[in-house]
Amino acid sequence: MANPAHATDNVVEYKKSPSARAKVQAFGGFLTNMVLPNIGAFIAWGLLTALFIPTGWMPNEELATIVGPAIKYLLPLLLAITGGRMVGGQRGAVMGAIGAIGLIVGSEIPMFLGAMVIGPLGGLVIKKFDKLVENRIPAGFEMIVNNFSLGILGFLLMILSFYFIGPAIEYANNGVTAAIEALVATGLLPLLSLINEPAKVLFLNNVIDQGIYYPLGMQAAAETGKSIYFTVASNPGPGLGLLLAFTLFGKKTARRTAPGAIIIHFFGGIHELYFPYVLMKPLTIIGMIAGGASGIAVFSLFDAGLVAGPSPGSIFAYLGLTPKGSFIGIIAGVLVAAVVTFLVTSVILKLDKGSEDDDELAASVEKSKAMKQEGKKSSAAKQQQTEEINKISFACDAGAGSSAMGATTFRKKLKKNEIEGIEVKHYRIEDAPEHSDIIVVHEDLQERARKAHPDKEIITIGNYLNDPALADLIERLKKK
Amino acid sequence: MLAEQLEGNIRFLSSVDSWEQGIQEAAAPLLDNGSITSGYIDDMIESVHENGPYIVIVPGVAMPHAKNNGTVNKTGVSYLKLDEPVLFPKDKEVKTFFVLAAEDSDGHLDLISDLSSILIEDETKDQLEEADSEERVLEVINSVE
Repeated sequence: MANPAHATDNVVEYKKSPSARAKVQAFGGFLTNMVLPNIGAFIAWGLLTALFIPTGWMPNEELATIVGPAIKYLLPLLLAITGGRMVGGQRGAVMGAIGAIGLIVGSEIPMFLGAMVIGPLGGLVIKKFDKLVENRIPAGFEMIVNNFSLGILGFLLMILSFYFIGPAIEYANNGVTAAIEALVATGLLPLLSLINEPAKVLFLNNVIDQGIYYPLGMQAAAETGKSIYFTVASNPGPGLGLLLAFTLFGKKTARRTAPGAIIIHFFGGIHELYFPYVLMKPLTIIGMIAGGASGIAVFSLFDAGLVAGPSPGSIFAYLGLTPKGSFIGIIAGVLVAAVVTFLVTSVILKLDKGSEDDDELAASVEKSKAMKQEGKKSSAAKQQQTEEINKISFACDAGAGSSAMGATTFRKKLKKNEIEGIEVKHYRIEDAPEHSDIIVVHEDLQERARKAHPDKEIITIGNYLNDPALADLIERLKKK
Repeated sequence: MLAEQLEGNIRFLSSVDSWEQGIQEAAAPLLDNGSITSGYIDDMIESVHENGPYIVIVPGVAMPHAKNNGTVNKTGVSYLKLDEPVLFPKDKEVKTFFVLAAEDSDGHLDLISDLSSILIEDETKDQLEEADSEERVLEVINSVE
């Protein structure tokens, strides 16, 4: 729960400042970059699961043994590694993985959320440590210090996450279970989506379905031959709507991968495929809740239900388990859920798109990193910093070519916009002076720039002449 | 200034086999007139291997360059235009090369300023892309100076 909570904190804290939206987006960008590189692994796992689990299309006991370890170990570790690398480079990636294995083993359920917290945390720990001992290691001892510092800190992080972080997250899961039971007791079934959808996205789908809804459903089905409980968390409609919205209005990579995810999700019934898309744009959970609730409302209206738990939750499994007389209700519920989610998610993605671009995303990730690192206090300081920009440094590998090109062009743009009093110069990355307020660097050189200037605001661009991030910077300077 | 420097350093080829070869071909005039040593060409290629294709400064246009490690004798620029684009890492297509060799990090800023003036305006960028002879390239460049 820590990540979403963090996001909300930011919303509240920065609501009044003009860049509140940018901060939220920055956080979203951080999540996106942690999840997106790993979508391929989710797809691999999804295909494997859809095909080979006992209720899959071609059950295979041997191959199905991969399913469990892959979702328990492989996927969370990948997220933790990516998260760690984003904050602390390769050493951060290693720390992230070490921390994540502690919580994975320390807990019974898949640790996705935990991995997305511990990964960046591990990266942060090693980065802070490296900064602390920088220039203090006697010559010749760098290798031994580097290896043992990572080893010892990792060892501690592993134990910490095993005993504290893993159980804390599992405790939160138990809270979810209790909340669902309370909602079932009220009888207002559409409200269940409020808990179902966030819980599913955090990979608790099997816990809530098989732990709560299927037992409830089986009781009801034993009496009446069908139950709505089988449908409340397994409706493939909302996921379909979400992925369709990403297909039409998502950004580059997300847009290209969404159609494939639709097939595995809607027909293959592996809902996990859409979870990363929600994790990278947390606001879209609103669409999922709206769709899920509409679906349940329609199922109730038609008094529809399934005869058993659809597993995997594919449209085929749904239709196969629909009793006579429930077909209209079941199909309508799936369709309505898909349409509602699609509409709400499309609006969310479109609003988001207006002011954001992939390059800007990279830049905003920088900001969010700085934000996470320094905590909220210095974000306020950063806020002040933006009021006073006196020096912008363009940097590149040699400090002669592309950075000079960027700086020259940017000076021209400043002149055109009649912005004065800002020094714009070009440097080799490592030579950019400490009193630079902003460092602009090509996205390919981002990691190196961050290493050299960990505390600076770094803007990354893909195009030295006409990058949207530079246009935004001009706007920002204009406001002064 | 840019036009002056480019005179005699402009080449046209139908295609190259690799981006590495593209940089070599594009830099050949500078190597021939002694502005750079072959070490500079290696450095430019190595820089892309190491840092990624950030020298593709706008879509379609690469500006290979590197740090002067005693490999640049005289500041210079050369130009290569391909009929068939060559692929850089990350699938960036490039048809136009401006090789930049700078003695120090300040002496060539006029060149860069002119180059950015051309590439920032779609009109002149398109004209440059269509230019099929040395005279025509120089004409486009002179038009913005």
